[in-house]
Amino acid sequence: MIEQIKEMLGDPADLATDMMDNGYARLEIALFPGMVDLFQLNEYVLKPFTYRFDPDEFRRMLHSSNSFFRGIASDQWSGYLLKGHTLIAYEGEVYVYRAIRMLQITPEETKVEVSLQGPQAAFTENLDFNMMLVRNMYNTPDLSVEDFDPNNLSKSKLALIYDRTKRNETTLKEVRRRLEQIDKGLLMSAGQLSKQLSHAKYRLFPITQITERPDRLCTHLNKGKLAVLLDGSRFAVLLPVHFFDFMYAMDDLYEPTFMSRFLVGLRYVAMLLTLTLPALYISIVSYNPEVFRIQLAFTIDGSRAAVPYPSFIEVLLMLFMIEALIEASLRLPRTVGSTAATVGGLILGQAAQQAGLVSSIMIIVTSVVAISSFVLPNSTFSYFIRILKYAFVAISVFAGLVGVVVALFVMVVYLCNMRSFGEPYFALFQSKAGKASGNNS
Amino acid sequence: MIRYYYYHVFYVGMINIMVLVPFVLINHRFGGAVSSFPLAIVCGTLYSYITSACFQRFPGLGLPEIYRLFMPVWIANILNIIGVVTWASAGIIVLFSYSNTIGIFFDPEASAYLNLAIMALASLWAATRSSRSVQFTHEVLLIVCTPIIIWILLKALFSPWLNWDAIRLVATGGIRQPPSAICFFAATFVFSGHLNITLFNRLNPRDLKFRFRWMIPIVGTFFLLVSFFVPIGLHGTQAVGDYLYVWSVTTDTLMMKYGFIQRVLYLFLLLYTFLSLLFVMNTWHTGMEFFKACFKKYPPATDEVNVPRINWWICLTLTCLTFAYAYFTNDLVNKLAAEIWLVMRFFVETALVVLMLLFVFMQKKGLQRKQALQRQGGD
Repeated sequence: MIEQIKEMLGDPADLATDMMDNGYARLEIALFPGMVDLFQLNEYVLKPFTYRFDPDEFRRMLHSSNSFFRGIASDQWSGYLLKGHTLIAYEGEVYVYRAIRMLQITPEETKVEVSLQGPQAAFTENLDFNMMLVRNMYNTPDLSVEDFDPNNLSKSKLALIYDRTKRNETTLKEVRRRLEQIDKGLLMSAGQLSKQLSHAKYRLFPITQITERPDRLCTHLNKGKLAVLLDGSRFAVLLPVHFFDFMYAMDDLYEPTFMSRFLVGLRYVAMLLTLTLPALYISIVSYNPEVFRIQLAFTIDGSRAAVPYPSFIEVLLMLFMIEALIEASLRLPRTVGSTAATVGGLILGQAAQQAGLVSSIMIIVTSVVAISSFVLPNSTFSYFIRILKYAFVAISVFAGLVGVVVALFVMVVYLCNMRSFGEPYFALFQSKAGKASGNNS
Repeated sequence: MIRYYYYHVFYVGMINIMVLVPFVLINHRFGGAVSSFPLAIVCGTLYSYITSACFQRFPGLGLPEIYRLFMPVWIANILNIIGVVTWASAGIIVLFSYSNTIGIFFDPEASAYLNLAIMALASLWAATRSSRSVQFTHEVLLIVCTPIIIWILLKALFSPWLNWDAIRLVATGGIRQPPSAICFFAATFVFSGHLNITLFNRLNPRDLKFRFRWMIPIVGTFFLLVSFFVPIGLHGTQAVGDYLYVWSVTTDTLMMKYGFIQRVLYLFLLLYTFLSLLFVMNTWHTGMEFFKACFKKYPPATDEVNVPRINWWICLTLTCLTFAYAYFTNDLVNKLAAEIWLVMRFFVETALVVLMLLFVFMQKKGLQRKQALQRQGGD
């Protein structure tokens, strides 16, 4: 057996193989020590084989214990080994022993979707552990789990989770079909998975939601929707989603109703601001200053007195600065990040205004845009909004205020035209899954 | 689902400004406009009741499918084409009037075709979407716009500069005149939101009950009276006749004391951009679906993911027609076209009501065409 395995795997240096002989019987063993729980292996295989050896008992254990699998075809051996199983050959038969090293024994802390008073546990990079988190929180017999083993390079297991009594059959079929079609490249993160599930590469809004919070996943399941967990990723993919789902932080469920309603409203306002404010600035300054009351129009124009170029150059300049700043403080190490923000935000902004490169109103616009885009609770969604803002800027350069309004109309049409796995993406008053698509299909 | 029906009633009530209904009415303010209102209210309400009651008997069927049930294909196709002309031309007239309004009040320096182009492209794209998407868009935008528009109307209604004497003068003087036909036709437009059920009935579920129909006369009467009397009250009985886009000028008399924007006109225009685009989207979409219904190749579909290519071609044709219309006409011709359209619409509406009553009668007698019945059974 050992020769066969070495041949299959190309004899890597981290593969440990051994042939053991205790005087009565021989045992061949092959494993990747880094992936195997050596303590369990020692306790349940090596000790019984060496100094407490009893041939009958040992054979009985191999045959009856549920950690040992018999009769695995030889072409699947390497697959099991690569996932951290141990191969044992004893008395002419090959057993696969399941003692995988669990690196993860506590849930992670939430990092991306922080909650003040909600559960602090987040998913880990281990699928079994994540399943435990979900099962603990969504503790009903109706929870169904389907395993998918995609035939790609990373071979990470996928688990499709849903509530049997509540799910929508057509959506489920569609998702299953797409999960089976996953391509053959490397699949490393939930973000990649969600891109592959969404099919269309160029979309203006996400049709899946990525979350690290088990409580979000469970509320989602409870609405009759589906979730996909990927082994090796600490994020789950939720689908189908609605536009409105991206506007909720989990805290909204845990905090006083009035406050959370207020916050949701705030987020919508923030989204609209971050989308349209630069475009509105351009159209007000360059096309229709008379829309604003006269004092305000004068203030804006006065603050632009020193600026030598048209408003859209000013806007593009400042938007470039703020995007660069956000990107820099995201990628830099934590300690340097705050310095970058200070230098960029405070000093450059102030200096640019005093030097007459941009108007002071523009500095305010830029910071409102940046802050508003951080208010959105979902980072993927916030990215989409951030890039969409440039479409509005572009149309305002050519068509002014009317252009911005028409672009808003087009955006609403686009949203209403979107379907997330067969369910309408942006339809009001349709909380029940499948209600809208159900009666017409 | 019944709410979708009332969205149409509501927004047609509000869009009357853009098909120049107030202009037509105000032109006849001393001759028979007011006295035609009661007739229009009764007639519009009656028509709404009849069509909704009739369509209730054909759940999930649009007008083209109902034609097919009772009529030979060629008659059905002729009727469909009449529908296409009625709806599509409404879209073109509104698009032209609105881009002109924008040109006058917003960007006098910009090319008139630029505004028309971006609005036409937006409506082109919106109209090609599936019926269900159109319906969703309609709902979202209407819910956003209606409260603010109602607020503006109420603001105008309670404005201290509103001269109630002028209104009383026109009302008491006008009511004694014999009703004028053109005013009657124009005033019934406010009630013709029910016409959109002809296509969107496809989306209605089987168990739809038309409740709250008492709202139709109330909503319609409100919009009719406000859009006629408020300009008179604010401009005076004489000056009000000087304007073509009378409501844009009327809202410009209002002022918001607080906030960034002072002149209500701009808020009003921005909101009516949404409404006009919605109207064009709805009318073009309806026209497009009627046209597609003439061919067997395109069975009625309401929620397709990828719309057929013909959608693009039809709407592109309409866009080109709009540009041609804009090139060859001006405000005065457009005014005439709007009047002709208002009259034509009334006759189409009447014909529709008669046809629907006939269809219901035929259905009761079991006079459906055999082929159609077979086709239904085959589904």
